[in-house]
Amino acid sequence: MARANAIYKALLYCYPAAFRQEYGTQMVLMFSEELEQVRRLKGRTGEASVWLRAALDALTVAPREHLHVIVQDLRYAFRTMAASPSFTAVAILSLALGIGANTAIFSLWNGVIHASLPGVDKPEQLVMLSDPDQQGMWIGRLSTREDGDRPYFTYAEFQQFRDNGNIFSAVMATESNFDSWQIRVGNGEWEQARGRLVSGGFFQVLGVIPVLGHAFTAADDSGDAPYAVISYNYWQRRFGGRPDVLGKTLGMRKTVLTIIGVAPRGFFGETSGQQPDLWIPLRMQPMVLPGVDRLHDKSPEKVMWLHVFGRLKFGVTLPQAEAQVNSAFEAGLESFYSGVLTAENRADFLDQHIRIRPAARGASSVRNRFSEPLTALLAAVGVLLLIACANLANLLLARGAARRSEIALRLSLGASRGRIMRQMLTESLALAIMGGLAGLGTAYLLHRALVRLMDFQMSFSLDPTVVAFAVAATLGAALLFGVLPAWQVTTMDTGEPLKEHSRSATGSIGRMRWGRFLVSLQLGLSLPLLVGAGLLARTLYNLQRVDLGYPAERLLLVRIDTREAGYNAVRRDALIRDLLEQFRRIPGVRAASFSSLGVFSGGNSALDIQVEGYVPRGDKDRNSAMDVVGPDYFSALGVPIVLGRGILESDRPGAPGICVVNAAFAKQFFDGRDPIGRRITSVEDHSATCVVAGVAGNARTQNLRGDVRPRYYFPALQFPFDIPHPIFLIRTATDAAPILAAVRQTVQRTDASLPIISAKSIEEQMAPLTAQDRAVAQIAVAFGAVALTLAAIGLYGVLSYGIARRKSEIAIRIALGAQTARVVGMILRETTGLIIAGLVLGAGLAYAASRVVTSQLFGVAPQDPLTLALAIGVLVAVALSAAYLPARRASKLDPMVALRSE
Amino acid sequence: MHDSKPDSLLPLPPAVFHILIALADRDRHGYSIMQDVAARTGGKVRLSAGTLYSSIRRMLEQGLVEELSDSPDPASTDERRRYYRLSRFGKRVAGAEVERLNTLLQQARDTGLVPGA
Repeated sequence: MARANAIYKALLYCYPAAFRQEYGTQMVLMFSEELEQVRRLKGRTGEASVWLRAALDALTVAPREHLHVIVQDLRYAFRTMAASPSFTAVAILSLALGIGANTAIFSLWNGVIHASLPGVDKPEQLVMLSDPDQQGMWIGRLSTREDGDRPYFTYAEFQQFRDNGNIFSAVMATESNFDSWQIRVGNGEWEQARGRLVSGGFFQVLGVIPVLGHAFTAADDSGDAPYAVISYNYWQRRFGGRPDVLGKTLGMRKTVLTIIGVAPRGFFGETSGQQPDLWIPLRMQPMVLPGVDRLHDKSPEKVMWLHVFGRLKFGVTLPQAEAQVNSAFEAGLESFYSGVLTAENRADFLDQHIRIRPAARGASSVRNRFSEPLTALLAAVGVLLLIACANLANLLLARGAARRSEIALRLSLGASRGRIMRQMLTESLALAIMGGLAGLGTAYLLHRALVRLMDFQMSFSLDPTVVAFAVAATLGAALLFGVLPAWQVTTMDTGEPLKEHSRSATGSIGRMRWGRFLVSLQLGLSLPLLVGAGLLARTLYNLQRVDLGYPAERLLLVRIDTREAGYNAVRRDALIRDLLEQFRRIPGVRAASFSSLGVFSGGNSALDIQVEGYVPRGDKDRNSAMDVVGPDYFSALGVPIVLGRGILESDRPGAPGICVVNAAFAKQFFDGRDPIGRRITSVEDHSATCVVAGVAGNARTQNLRGDVRPRYYFPALQFPFDIPHPIFLIRTATDAAPILAAVRQTVQRTDASLPIISAKSIEEQMAPLTAQDRAVAQIAVAFGAVALTLAAIGLYGVLSYGIARRKSEIAIRIALGAQTARVVGMILRETTGLIIAGLVLGAGLAYAASRVVTSQLFGVAPQDPLTLALAIGVLVAVALSAAYLPARRASKLDPMVALRSE
Repeated sequence: MHDSKPDSLLPLPPAVFHILIALADRDRHGYSIMQDVAARTGGKVRLSAGTLYSSIRRMLEQGLVEELSDSPDPASTDERRRYYRLSRFGKRVAGAEVERLNTLLQQARDTGLVPGA
């Protein structure tokens, strides 16, 4: 019997502790009597049925009892919350902010850096032959990369991979660039749509089945395929989700496409962070982008612009695939370059290889760029949530103190400490859950703002990972801010608060100690956020004031497409000369010229060269950037000529071939020797040879960060190759914007069929360069401000509370003749201790944090003393002002009133 | 809870009604309630300890029963036992439940669902 009782007692642990304490003895008693009776009357079978019912109780009644306790606790929690609405509002608001910011940043971080491609079948089996982090196009003979890894492929190379049946079960290619197209539905107005050219096997390889209609297939690679598949979002947005969208036509440049399918919801293609409206077969490239043929290469020039994806055949490993693909690739290169290969340049042309990588996450031009800032931001919001939790813990500690009499009463009436702890944790949890729910709303809004700020295309979705994160953040927060106050309150001596009431002269040291610790912690945690914000703000400031080497204002950049308008080389030169003359006659224009790359256009051009009198130390030492420029380029842009001359009208075919180098070039290749008259020859193509006629100052035309690269400038009229999309540089005397209209009119008047690809002021052109830095700096400053505000609230609360508890002590001091200034001074001195403790902690954290943002910084050291001093200054100033208010109030105490109220 | 209307607790869960009936004639402890219910139902209803005390916990909160501070049976020596008594409110609730069942039964008879008495 004793054993049966022991087992039954163990079973009672399924019930809530309070229920067990109240009824446990009775239940054991009843159970043992019943068991004894059935044993006597019915033997073993009766006994079994009693056990069965006891077990059933544990499974059904016990959970109901738990639910009852939870409902009771929740009801109590909501009553407590309703009783102090301002506390509840502050708590929910700060949690919503903390959890919301964390969820939003996590969702971005997850989407950009971690998540597999949405809507793709078995993404883990996808592999990529091109470089997932690159986006762009390279036209020329060689690969751009020093390590020889090929970032993109040509159409012919893609075909070679596709038709090699041994390695891949399927292969497809996509345009690595993300295009913005002018289209029109039926005969409607022209409108903007974003899309991508993809090979026929695109949908098959990704395992995507359209929700409406059908997709194009690999067979469409071999013939004309004037089709388009549109995205689900575009279908909803542009066509209202109507099923009759199939068969509608889309006019585009020189062709008309028919919509044959709608991709499923949530599928955005192979590149994360981008949401195309439509996909068009690669074969349509000459019709969609007329004037150029990117599908066929003219040896020895390659048009490298495609990402290539595939799925490996069953049983083929990555290394095997890589070896096989590379051997076929090298054979292809050998035959392609056969006409230009020599013993010397052989290694240059053939040193190209392919790396095959897992591609579950797809391509992304933003992943690399944003990986660090997003990780840093995630750390920052984590700290923000910690600060919010510390703040709440502090508020709860103070409130716990206010409720001590109530809790002491409940304890003395027999409630167990566990029961009260459970009750208080339920309150914290209820607060956290409400904060978490409000946080989801905040996350949605923040996510939208962040995506706009960072120029991503990514919608906020509550996928399981994000939900799990939000739930974990909520529960973690509840534990963080709930446990300490609950533990504090329940470990007190039951008799003490009832006796003490509020007669204490010094306050309860233990609880105050925790409150002070939490305030120091908050101040300490705020410091790295402030330092980070300061560093990023200074980076942005520096980036906006980089010396470009020419005035970064009053400059228009206008790019036209002469190829589509049907100009050949001879007519184009005449057109450009004509346009330049007309531009210069526009009132307010001071100078005009043109170049192939313009400034900050995103394009780049680089060559391996031989420089007369220069012996390269290694392969990497003979590469230079290059641009092809018109007459008066340097004076129009505003770059000084430091030696020799610039490029003139007279530098035309027949005259001696010249070029101008920049100062970085002169330093790298001539190093003190006179560069004038030296010969520069392209390694790839000996016809592009020139003699240095002048040295120009260093001009930043590609990047704001890093050193200015060596560059040489070739006169456009002497350049042996085509410049189909010249960019005009128009220097104006006043604000450039009003002159833009006149420039457009001039182009229109000269040839109405001449497309203007882009027309911007230099300010507009440069804005995207600092967009990311601006976004990150703004977010960091906002986080820093919120953190500081929370810390100030915490400090204010703890001091007010401490002063309220020490009212009588302060009153006595004042009664004994202490001056106002002395009372204020006394309290500010105590505050200083808290601030110093916080600063010591914060300095360590700030040091660690500065390493996270190092790569984001520009023109400022991660341990910049000025920024640190400034952050500390702001922190101390805010903390002291938060302390001043309660101190001032204390000094104004009327000793009689204060002492009488005790 | 005590001042709530009897009707607000209706219909009563079967276990609660059985307990009210068991306590109608005299005050009892848990095991005695269980035995009484079993005896009256011919062994068909056997309240388990969990169900019984979960119901009593709720009935105490609702004010249907009260716990006695002393054993009503001077012969009982077991001090661990707790005795329960039907409260006045409990009686009213039981009456209301009986009335509800009566009306229901009457309706069943009136419509010919079951033969009348």
